[in-house]
Amino acid sequence: MSISLHAIASHLALRAGRVLQFLWSGWAGLAAICLLAAIWQAGHETYGPFILTSPLETLRVIGHLVADPKAWSIASLTLQRALTGFLLVAGTGSVIGIAAGYSPASMRLVTPLITVLMGVPPIAWIVLAMIWFGGSDATVRTVILVSALPVVFLGAARGITTRDRLLDRMAEAFGAGPIRRFLTIGLRQTTTTLFPALALALGTSFKVAVMAELLANAGGIGGALADARVNLDIAQALAWVVIAVILLIAVEYTLVQPVKSEIDRWRHAAQPWGVKR
Amino acid sequence: MSVLSLKNVSHAYLGRTILDGIDLDVACGEIVALVGPSGCGKSTLAHIAAGLTEPKSGRITRTYKRHAMVFQDPALMPWATAAGNIDYGLRLAGMGRAARQEYVMAAAAQVALVPDDMEKFPIELSGGMRQRVAIARALAVKPEFIFFDEPFTALDVALRRRMQNLVMDICIDGRLSGLFITHDLYEAARVAHRIAVLDTRGNGVLGMRTMAGTPAQRSDAAIFDWVQTALEQDTAFRHIHDVDERQLA
Repeated sequence: MSISLHAIASHLALRAGRVLQFLWSGWAGLAAICLLAAIWQAGHETYGPFILTSPLETLRVIGHLVADPKAWSIASLTLQRALTGFLLVAGTGSVIGIAAGYSPASMRLVTPLITVLMGVPPIAWIVLAMIWFGGSDATVRTVILVSALPVVFLGAARGITTRDRLLDRMAEAFGAGPIRRFLTIGLRQTTTTLFPALALALGTSFKVAVMAELLANAGGIGGALADARVNLDIAQALAWVVIAVILLIAVEYTLVQPVKSEIDRWRHAAQPWGVKR
Repeated sequence: MSVLSLKNVSHAYLGRTILDGIDLDVACGEIVALVGPSGCGKSTLAHIAAGLTEPKSGRITRTYKRHAMVFQDPALMPWATAAGNIDYGLRLAGMGRAARQEYVMAAAAQVALVPDDMEKFPIELSGGMRQRVAIARALAVKPEFIFFDEPFTALDVALRRRMQNLVMDICIDGRLSGLFITHDLYEAARVAHRIAVLDTRGNGVLGMRTMAGTPAQRSDAAIFDWVQTALEQDTAFRHIHDVDERQLA
């Protein structure tokens, strides 16, 4: 009993240590943001407030927006669309990619289709989706699905095709059937390439959501940006851009990074000290 | 009584015959070493015997309950700790968590892994330690038969000796049987009760030599003498050091 308590305590200590380490790495992020703000300020001082509002002025506008409940519903609409689109593309891309990774014949069949998909400009999809679904959530989700699918598909498929086959043999030698082998060995190895692809897809989801909203006149942050353009309100436009980026960062660090760091614990263990922290 | 028996086994890969007419028996509590030049199909034979590869023809009879395998590459899962790797076979067997932990600890103790090592990832362990973990993983499932597929080829001489001692210690109580694939005749003479020599082209077993005494009793001098005599006088071992790089897939 005391041994298990001790084990739990040391496990918790390890977790707490990792969380603190993660928070500590936030200083590096803060430094990067300050650098960006400095360059922004320099641009503002060179070109004047009409071309580029100062970071502080933008912050003030963001402050007004935060106090406005209508702005919250605009942002949450875009967030909802980007996230559901992302989940849709993550699910679809992973399933097709993993299936193609295991089946060389379908891989050969699907690869040219993916190339075609990559060749079609997202703007064309927006036009088609607008005709099919009008200015609704479905339009935004469709465009996200189509634009982020290739990267998720390739990430999932590459993870399966480059897996260590010796581990499959090992699992087989210990009596694992095909399904157990996939669940314990194959799926785990896919994450190496699938996770960077998913992070990329998440970024694409937000960008495409805003773009589709703007062009399809579907409300959300894209709609707000369209309004700012009509009014030639630079501060408002920049504020919405910053809010979109903040949303992306928030989702990335609450959804993607925790899972990724849990999965990549062993990789972290191998890093030299200077890279680690 | 034999626990593993191969009768007239043959195998072909992409139309090329690799193994033909192989007969081999392993008795209970016995380690049989299978030697032969590189590329003669030793590993393939081990995989066929273990049921990983389907033979083209022949009959394989296994009367043991459970087997395990140690590979040349330790084949550890890089994302799992040493404990997690040793646990893998038990997890597949569907054992409960508490019982598994007990088995893992017992297997780790057998190969002299300390609790500190158990929380490390394979990438943090040296080659010898990784192979120890691989052996512990095989032992954890309490097998009656172990396939060793050139397990120590990649290790240096001193380490290889320690690992051979480990294998001899594990098998000393006579409950474990094993097939030990190697191309090192000294290693074979050290760990095995009997040595089977595979033909260069996989055309059957050229000879089966029974070693005097048990592996633990054999002195280094006796092993050295036996190997020298075998290499000079025994026709079965004539081609044991032939290497054709082109044949190695």
